[in-house]
Amino acid sequence: MASATTQQHLLLSPAELAYLHSSLSLTPPVRPDGRTATQFRPLTAETGVLPAANGSARVCFADGTEAVVGVKAEVEKRKVLPLSKGHEQIRESDGDDAVAGENDWVEITVEIPGYRDDDSSTVFLATMLSEALLADGEFTKKLWINRRFHWKLYIDQIILISPPLSYPLPLLSLTTHLALLSTRLPRLKSEADEDPMFDDDWDASRFIYPRQSSDTTSATVGSRPPVTLLVMAVGDNIIFDPSKEELAVADSALAVSVGERNAPVDEASETMDVDGEPQAGRQLRLLSVRTIDPPSRLTAPGVPNAVNAAAWGQGGPVAKDPGARAAEIDDVEGVWKAPRGGTKVAILGAMVQKVLEKGGIAEEVLDGLDAVDLG
Amino acid sequence: MPLDTSTYNLALLRIDGRRWNELRQLRGQIRTQAAADGSSYLEMGNTKIMCVVTGPSEEGKRRNQGASSASAAGSGSSTSASATNAADILVSVVVGGFSTVDRKKRARSDKRIQELQATLAKSLAAVLHTHLFPRSTISLSLHILSQDGSLLACMINAATLALVDAGVPMTDYLVACSAGSTSSHSAADERADPLIDLNNQEEQELPFLTVGTLGASDKVVVLVCESRVQVSRLEGMMVAAADGCVNIRAYLDSVVREKGHRMVAEGAVEKGASMAMDIDV
Amino acid sequence: MPREAEPSLNERAFVVQALQEGLRVDGRAFDQYRQLELKFGEQYGVADVTLGKTRILVKVSAEVTTPYTDRPFDGIFTITTELSPMASPAFEVNRPTETEVLLSRLLEKTVRRSNALDTESLCLVAGQKCWSIRVDLHVLSHDGNLIDVSCFAVVAALRHFRKPDTSIEGGHLTVYTPAEREPVPLSWLHSPFCVTFSFYGEGEITILDANLLEEQLRVSSCTISLNRHGEICQIAKLGGTPVEAATLLQCASVALNKVKEFSTLLDQKLAEDAKRRNKGGLLAELSAENER
Repeated sequence: MASATTQQHLLLSPAELAYLHSSLSLTPPVRPDGRTATQFRPLTAETGVLPAANGSARVCFADGTEAVVGVKAEVEKRKVLPLSKGHEQIRESDGDDAVAGENDWVEITVEIPGYRDDDSSTVFLATMLSEALLADGEFTKKLWINRRFHWKLYIDQIILISPPLSYPLPLLSLTTHLALLSTRLPRLKSEADEDPMFDDDWDASRFIYPRQSSDTTSATVGSRPPVTLLVMAVGDNIIFDPSKEELAVADSALAVSVGERNAPVDEASETMDVDGEPQAGRQLRLLSVRTIDPPSRLTAPGVPNAVNAAAWGQGGPVAKDPGARAAEIDDVEGVWKAPRGGTKVAILGAMVQKVLEKGGIAEEVLDGLDAVDLG
Repeated sequence: MPLDTSTYNLALLRIDGRRWNELRQLRGQIRTQAAADGSSYLEMGNTKIMCVVTGPSEEGKRRNQGASSASAAGSGSSTSASATNAADILVSVVVGGFSTVDRKKRARSDKRIQELQATLAKSLAAVLHTHLFPRSTISLSLHILSQDGSLLACMINAATLALVDAGVPMTDYLVACSAGSTSSHSAADERADPLIDLNNQEEQELPFLTVGTLGASDKVVVLVCESRVQVSRLEGMMVAAADGCVNIRAYLDSVVREKGHRMVAEGAVEKGASMAMDIDV
Repeated sequence: MPREAEPSLNERAFVVQALQEGLRVDGRAFDQYRQLELKFGEQYGVADVTLGKTRILVKVSAEVTTPYTDRPFDGIFTITTELSPMASPAFEVNRPTETEVLLSRLLEKTVRRSNALDTESLCLVAGQKCWSIRVDLHVLSHDGNLIDVSCFAVVAALRHFRKPDTSIEGGHLTVYTPAEREPVPLSWLHSPFCVTFSFYGEGEITILDANLLEEQLRVSSCTISLNRHGEICQIAKLGGTPVEAATLLQCASVALNKVKEFSTLLDQKLAEDAKRRNKGGLLAELSAENER
């Protein structure tokens, strides 16, 4: 799925890889940096770093990879629908929900220095991020101005360290999350379907994701942008926030996008919030799951074509010596072999479950992000 | 400010309240990225640039081949050094779509960006002691986070800071400053005054140039002018810009020294004694 | 990627040493250009310029198109450069080298951004129809100093060019063939020219019009574009060895003198060409001489 260019081969020997793999398969797993399976690396984050953007954030992972995300909003005229059909559509949408958004109101670009603009890896990252963001259709509703105009949101992401030191999806997702939380749109002064006029006063602007404290009556209380987390499995162990070395021996890796349910928070949890237990109030929901091709799935350098399934037919003559072939295919203790075949459904299920469960990882991450000062 | 304003006696203040020879607020940091060999962040007013240096490293151009990068030594006709006995300098400029008031995405194959990259690579090649790193590559990536005039100048200054952080030996700081002239090209107004460190609005209205000098000297490494201006104005603008460069150099130097002091204080520098002496000078 | 053959160490040492002793390899003075020749083609807007062994052909063409939506009152003016393998083995087709990018940026800044051509005059019907003037530049032979020659050739071709006459009646646009009405020159505002200086040693030796060998050995260069009224259109010293500011100022005044020479030469050639075309004397009033 994810292109290989974002995750280049690590120069680890088969023995090192095998050691990593077996230590990660222990119960509990032993990780190279001593973390527990669900522990995240520390990160630093700040928001509102760019003066010219509606919202921005900068996040630095512990491994040094850093990303800057800027959100810019522009007013755009809605595409005119064909009249006969358009009337029906508007009336139709008037019926249940007048406010509806379209997916092309959001544009996400990812830029990594040293990569071409149309590099498949950056396009793929951008698509995965927008997929999570647009999954529930709630986000684009926020961009609705009136029937003739809407906001167009450009989310530009730059990765500062090239090549990224670990798979950049979680980093970009967290940065986007914070940038969107800090995004403000000017207050609308005009009414109904007039040409939009906006309040010049930036202090009067509204957050695209309103704070809980400021606006408790709104239906969107508690709504948050999605976060995408990288989860990997080695054997039956499920490991969060894998480093580059760990990914190199992953049996499978998933990008799990989680959003918060967009429902009014009931009284009980409201009071619990005050008590300092916001976990209880979180209603998480799964937005998307994507499998990521970890580098462990790529053919390691030095594998002869004769035993490489990807080079079937174009390799040299099949190895005549059966022993040599066996050495390439059979498992030998202490020598790394790329995993073959798919992942068990049960493990995939467990990975998603671990993210979503109460007091699970997603809640922990969202709580952590809550702590970031949104200036 | 070491400059004497009294002889010009200007009551006129600029749009942002500065006098003609006043720089905007400078804010610089070095070693902003722990994972890079050298990094810096520089703000000149609202122009904000982040620079990351990788190298000098051996890995060569392989990785950057697809991207547009400018190589100074060897293939460039302007440097005498050939590829085999001096380091290559690769520069890639990333313009954030959010850096301007109206979002405008610039492709990296844009000629203007390629020209900026070539300019940076060639001017740094003249200042860095690349001959100390044969067969290696120094790659810089500059991220433009916000632009408000004096873009080239700010990029040069940020690159210099990052290269200091990376520990690449150089003859002196390469510093740059922009300067403009208060009258438009058509008016034959001889009393036109130079302005330094222009912001975006001034760049739109006035003719301007960017001067990059070697440290506080009068030696010009970069001189770029893209607007119409009377040849008689050139001298005044260049002198003003060179004065701006002197101030910028002093500021960049203070950033580096302050960071050095802090590193010594924190014990980040191992062989402390001799280092500390150097910095105390 | 093919590269220009680099001069040998002996050549390097010889040329640089000679320059330090005040001599150029081809015996020219430091501020002397090679022989500049300009020939106009049979058609309007074709200029063939040679400078020593460097030769450049420029062709200007015009067509009626719709203007860009963000600039409804402006015509379209583009300059395209092509450095083909014909000029030098170092150039590849469809793969712009740094030389080509810098050359096209320089022409863009010198001719287009300095408003040498009044693009508003190219507008026919606001927002609907305008002239699109396209300049194609081909380098036929490369022996140094492409920039100065290219700029001269582009300006010469544009000033030589005549676009078909048009008229608008009741919103209806008529474009006349040359047989119906004599084509009209472009609305030309000023003629900028580029002068490139090459520096040697520690930046203290300055020469004009470097040939290919000298270009390969220079430590830095500076291109100054001016018109004969002393207006700088562009200066580009894009890096290279540091040069004293005073030297650069001196270069600017040398450049101004050179530009005046270019300007006179071009005026003279254009007048000759006009005379040649005007054999019958019928078009005496349509002088190619521009006021500016």
